[in-house]
Amino acid sequence: MSQRLKLTKWLVVLVVLHCIVAGAGFFAPYNPVEQDREHPYLPPMRVHLMDAQNHFHVRPFFYPLRLRTGSFDQYEEDTTSAIPLRFFTRGTPYRLLGLIPSRLHLFGSTDARIHLLGSDAYGRDQLSRILYGGQVSLLAGLLGATVTLLFGALIGMAAGYYDGWRDELLMRVAELFLALPWLYLLFALRAFLPLAVSPLEAFLLVVAVIGMVGWARPARLVRGVVLSVKERDFVRAARGFGAPDFYLLRRHILPETASVLLTQAAILVPQFVLAEMTLSFLGLGVPEPMSSWGNLLASLQQYSVLVSYWWMYLPAVAIIPFFLGYLGLASALQERVGAYKIDEKSSWNPS
Amino acid sequence: MRYLLRRTLHAVFLLFGVSLLTFLFSALTPGNYFDEMRLNPQISPESIAALHTQYQLDRPLPVRYAHWLNAVAHGELGFSFAYNSPVAPLLWVRARNTLLLTVTAALLAWLLALPLGVWSASRFGRVPDRVVSWTTATLLVIPDLVLALGLLILAVRTGWFPTGGLVSVGYEEFSPLHKLGDLALHMTLPVLALVLATLPMLVRHVRASVAEVLDAPFLRAALGHGIPHRKLLYGYALRAAANPLISLFGFSVGTLLSGSLLVEVVMSWPGLGPLLLESILARDLYVVIGGVLLSMIFLVAGNLFADVLLYWADPRIHTAVSPK
Amino acid sequence: MRPLLKVENLVKHYAAGRSTRSKDRLAALDGVSLSIPSGETLALVGESGSGKSTLALCIACLETPTSGSISFEGIDVATLDENQQRLFRPQIQLVFQDPASSLNPRWTALEIVSEPFLVQRRFTKPDRTVRALQLLDRVAIPRKLAGRRADELSGGQKQRLAIARALALEPKLIILDEALSALDCSVQALIANLLLELQASLGLAYLFITHDFAMAAHLADRIAVMDRGRIVESGPTENILRSPNHEATRALLAAVPRFIESPSVLVTA
Repeated sequence: MSQRLKLTKWLVVLVVLHCIVAGAGFFAPYNPVEQDREHPYLPPMRVHLMDAQNHFHVRPFFYPLRLRTGSFDQYEEDTTSAIPLRFFTRGTPYRLLGLIPSRLHLFGSTDARIHLLGSDAYGRDQLSRILYGGQVSLLAGLLGATVTLLFGALIGMAAGYYDGWRDELLMRVAELFLALPWLYLLFALRAFLPLAVSPLEAFLLVVAVIGMVGWARPARLVRGVVLSVKERDFVRAARGFGAPDFYLLRRHILPETASVLLTQAAILVPQFVLAEMTLSFLGLGVPEPMSSWGNLLASLQQYSVLVSYWWMYLPAVAIIPFFLGYLGLASALQERVGAYKIDEKSSWNPS
Repeated sequence: MRYLLRRTLHAVFLLFGVSLLTFLFSALTPGNYFDEMRLNPQISPESIAALHTQYQLDRPLPVRYAHWLNAVAHGELGFSFAYNSPVAPLLWVRARNTLLLTVTAALLAWLLALPLGVWSASRFGRVPDRVVSWTTATLLVIPDLVLALGLLILAVRTGWFPTGGLVSVGYEEFSPLHKLGDLALHMTLPVLALVLATLPMLVRHVRASVAEVLDAPFLRAALGHGIPHRKLLYGYALRAAANPLISLFGFSVGTLLSGSLLVEVVMSWPGLGPLLLESILARDLYVVIGGVLLSMIFLVAGNLFADVLLYWADPRIHTAVSPK
Repeated sequence: MRPLLKVENLVKHYAAGRSTRSKDRLAALDGVSLSIPSGETLALVGESGSGKSTLALCIACLETPTSGSISFEGIDVATLDENQQRLFRPQIQLVFQDPASSLNPRWTALEIVSEPFLVQRRFTKPDRTVRALQLLDRVAIPRKLAGRRADELSGGQKQRLAIARALALEPKLIILDEALSALDCSVQALIANLLLELQASLGLAYLFITHDFAMAAHLADRIAVMDRGRIVESGPTENILRSPNHEATRALLAAVPRFIESPSVLVTA
């Protein structure tokens, strides 16, 4: 498969995945904070076409769950009432992308709540929470990667362009940061900042902390590019016309760094999403009631949940297609750039 | 020799830098920390005052740093409020537990990765190699958090493995053999999680390095001399491909203390990881600093170790004239 | 008459490697003096490593000499501050040896030729395009190639583009640093003639740096021979060719392929 085609394929996959998460309001049947305390920890509901009497229904339907007689946490399907699943229904209001108000949902039901992926301790629909949670986690990853790359690019360009002691100093500091295990650094940074903050503040804090941890590698790579481009004759020629440094950086050197930055972006975003997940899972990231893939998994730290409610693990699986997409994109980009060397320092799961 | 000296100096510089950074982190938020301590009813105002003078919080930063460095050099890493004991012994115990896990996992991972990688490289592009590549790619896509949690759920559902802890209740009464078995049983899942997390990348690196070398003319010449295939692969090819692998090995050594944090927390293994987390949540400052410092030391030592190994293994380095 | 360019005792030291000890320094230029009158061509001939390119960079103000002076139209270039330097730069332009590296491969021909205008902030955008196209005409590059990226052009076309770009700011002196060396023989001849024609119509002065004596002889009024950072011999072209004095000059002359009356002589050798 040609490189262009491969690149496009992965881009399409990623765009589709991101659109689904961005359109969480539409794809999710419920609001992530809607509670239903009467029905905690419902297992995933099945959608049927064939009912108990072996009749085929054209419209898919589901059975509501009721407590098994004699048990207080075992559910079974109530086959007496088949509730049809409606598509493109009106449901709870939401704002698409935070801007456009709408009530249209991909699927839903007016008679009973449907939980395709089960519900949690407060009866909140897991599917909805996963979709909305994805928005938080992915956004944290994307923003964090942007911060890191911005920072890294600036420092890399300064180090590469202004040779001498500035370069030495910046690269030594970068080496220091590269030498530190990122997870520990993340924790340490987060630890020394106030713990009890509002969800929004926590989110911004997480992004800032994540962003500040990973700048060293992009900086080194950008510096490398700058060093080699700086010596090219067309830069000399432009200086010969009287071009100031800023012009040279902006119009000649910066475009050359684009491919390095893009490849780094494809590698960093999933790492940072994972970082947010880890922080939130451990209670250091985004707090309730805001949902993120990380804090959705936090309930698994309780033994009882682990034993009885396996569907609470599903948010962990949600990230895998994204990882796959980003990893594929990163390989395609690296191939395109031609530097397809596995550098051990660019390992996938750094510790 | 000059090379070794330079690398050692570099390591020392790194250690200083790391210690400075760690100290700065702590020093930059003393107000916050001590205010929170004041709010904590478990700590009396007298202790706070005593700590204030002991840690000389009224002195300028450089003095405090020097004082702190001095204390660390004497092995005194401070006091833990949550555990009500000095930090150092606390850390050693936990570090020992962590190392138990990570050393086992690292050994296993490397022992598996080397033959897998070499075998895969020798059958480059053909079916066995593709199977290996696909498996590693799949494993790589699964983050270790997901892996660890998944294994945990497996343990719980099947009941084959304990779901946490170092040893079972009543461990002291077990016979030595039973003790070993119990420990091994508890270790299985965390070690498995760690190995699955690190193996794919290792295999990929080994495969890539060896594949690059397999093309070289000197190997073809050796083959022409009638050297048996296995000796060729391990004796010649692997040694030529060793450089990046040695650096990687050094990196593995360096992350012995820090790489297992997540797995330990998820699997409730009483290592350095859970301690660090607890201390962060409890704002137990000196434990955090001590823990971070300890793992940084390991990292720097690991890199230095890799440099030394490289020096010993690659003759080109001592005969090289120009600096890096 | 005052020469256009006058270089006196130019010295340029480079630090070898990372040391700063004086005996480790490389003297790329060890006291070079030359002068070029307006509208004339001086060829600087020498082997690789003799310091020719360093001299070119110093004259074009892209490197700072360690000592010595460079005067252009009587003004000492070293005395100019940054702003004055920027206004001064259009007077001396440089054409490099390898057009693949002296032209940004991603830029189009039009963009490359208009860059000097952009940098010097002259003319409005439409004006720049018009003038750029005129420059392309000047160097015989068909207008339809104006929108092509530099890496899509042939070697000869690229070098013409480089010359066009050098002409943009109407310089008085163009330094050609081995500008023809990377081209095919036939293309060399074409571009050499282009250079002569431009000189005649625009009154340009050239500093033509090369290791090819034959080309130097063809283009230059005067020749200076450089060896290990110094000018060892200089004078009018005829004189140098007929009676070379220095051994470096003789060595370079001997390297020029000579065409013998009867090619069969070669076969029996």
